Amino acid sequence: MNPNAIVQAEQVTKIYDEGAVPVQALRGVSLTIEPGEFTVIAGPSGSGKTTLLNLLGALDVPTEGRVFFEGQDLSTLSRRERARLRLYKIGFVFQAYNLIPVLTALENVEFVLLLQGVPERERRRRALEVLEQLGIGELAHKRPHEMSGGQQQRVAVARAVVSRPRLVLADEPTANLDSATGARLLDLMEQLNREQGVTFVFSSHDPQVIERGRRLLWLHDGQIEREERR
Amino acid sequence: MSFRGVTGLARVAWRNLWRNRRRTLIVLSSVVVGVFVLVLFDTLNLGMVEQMLDNQLRLHIGHVQIHRQGYHANPAVERFFRKAEALRQQVAAEPEVRAVAPRVLVHGLLSSAYNNGGVQLVGVAPEAESLVTFIADQIVAGRYLTGEGSEILIGERLARKLEVRLGDRVVAMAARPDGQIGSEVFRVVGLFRTVSADFDRTMAFIPIDRARAMLGLPPDAAHELAVLLDDARQADALKARLQAALPDTLEVLTYRDVVPLLVMQRDLYAEMMYLIYLIIGVALIFGIINAMLMAVLERLPEFGVLRAIGMSEGRLFLLVSLESLLLGLLGTAIGWALSLPVYAYLARHGLDLAVFSEALAAFGVGSVIYPRLTLRVVWNAWLIIPLVAWLGALYPAWRAIHVEPVEAMRAV
Repeated sequence: MNPNAIVQAEQVTKIYDEGAVPVQALRGVSLTIEPGEFTVIAGPSGSGKTTLLNLLGALDVPTEGRVFFEGQDLSTLSRRERARLRLYKIGFVFQAYNLIPVLTALENVEFVLLLQGVPERERRRRALEVLEQLGIGELAHKRPHEMSGGQQQRVAVARAVVSRPRLVLADEPTANLDSATGARLLDLMEQLNREQGVTFVFSSHDPQVIERGRRLLWLHDGQIEREERR
Repeated sequence: MSFRGVTGLARVAWRNLWRNRRRTLIVLSSVVVGVFVLVLFDTLNLGMVEQMLDNQLRLHIGHVQIHRQGYHANPAVERFFRKAEALRQQVAAEPEVRAVAPRVLVHGLLSSAYNNGGVQLVGVAPEAESLVTFIADQIVAGRYLTGEGSEILIGERLARKLEVRLGDRVVAMAARPDGQIGSEVFRVVGLFRTVSADFDRTMAFIPIDRARAMLGLPPDAAHELAVLLDDARQADALKARLQAALPDTLEVLTYRDVVPLLVMQRDLYAEMMYLIYLIIGVALIFGIINAMLMAVLERLPEFGVLRAIGMSEGRLFLLVSLESLLLGLLGTAIGWALSLPVYAYLARHGLDLAVFSEALAAFGVGSVIYPRLTLRVVWNAWLIIPLVAWLGALYPAWRAIHVEPVEAMRAV
């Protein structure tokens, strides 16, 4: 096992057994994510990108094979322990932004810190700091419905990074954005990666995202077809 | 989780509550109406049962009674005590005592030219009696006793039965301690009508001296001292004090000893209020479950996101149940705010149930009911209704925490 790895998947298989016909979403995938990576899992829809991302993010457990997060086998953790791991170690950016609609941008960013039990004053300070860093300080007191998609997704990035997680997982983050807005969002994430060493793993089939990845994993029919490093 | 964390979640819960304003207002108004009805119903019910007991006590019983030892168990005419006036003064000197009335009591027969009936003959000192009970205020025809001559005061219903009118003569007969039958002719000087139909059929008041003469008792004899206190709750303390101070030949009883059934009845009526709480609670809880369940089901994807970013099941459960609890607390507050002015009005003017006064008379309640607010009512409403609201959130909250983060997000 790689001692530097943040997360490591070993021969993972995932079968969805809900419908009449079981669907094999992943067929023996192995990969390692190390600190500082800016990695894109690419592939057509249905290739298993999101499934793989869910496994790496401790949102789901594989049918076979194992996933280690910082050396810990996720299959040995309870639901509660996995939730705690996600809270402290992993940030998420979703395709549909998924901010809490009743909270302002600032409060959305604060919410993660609230769950971590950070005192209110410090919560506020850190959340404002992150919003300022990402250049969206002026959105602090806006609710999601008062913001554009690009603005919401920037707030979602702020929420994902505010507690300085080991790993940020972004599932099709630009899918709902026009290309200029998507480009600015990617600039932002690159900047975080470069300046603060935040580790990003994307799943996407957006050429714009794929172009930016420093490491590319092509997924096809639940298997890694090829890997590129730039 | 820290208290800070809870207040943070409560803020989110509060805002969630107003996402579907109309649904929240509908459920909220049902809680408000529930609390409004409960508060008024409970205070009126309590007022009624307290009044019922109080009426019985002020009608005849008083708060404390003193007899010769054993009289209460077996009220025989020969069980009288002497030196009634000295004893009356001694008891009247106690600080919490408002008035003391001596009585000579005997069961007897009252006959008119047309009919007769068994009665409780009560020999009273008119002045003292009018201070302990409100019999003097219940005269509907004629006058109250003066203590002079062969006067008798009977209930309107008894008069109807005996077919006598004011000024008519009736003959009272009763067994004397010496085994003879004492009898005497009285003239009806007054008719009374109280809140109790039973009382109006069976009680007859005569001057205490006449009663003693008729029964051949010594002039300082009495069967009973009826004591009225400033506050019924002082009865036990006075009883204890008097028992220590008075000779063993006398028994001291509180109204609880004299009419335990009435006291039980009052407590039972108060307890029955919980049935009403249960009914209203059940009615409310289904509305709350329904509303919360809708609120939860339409937000499942959002809960999936919260789970994904690491919110524990416990906190998600807390978030959902806080929404309901806040709704219950708000509804209770508004319900109280609305019911208090109505309560204040009723406490001042009473609720006039004249339409039902016949039925109420059978229960010994006046036709005007005054609500009574106690700490118990306050506790009940503030505890039970928010609890019901919280209980109503249990199933919806359970649904919320069982969302799979992955599945919920796929639905987005």
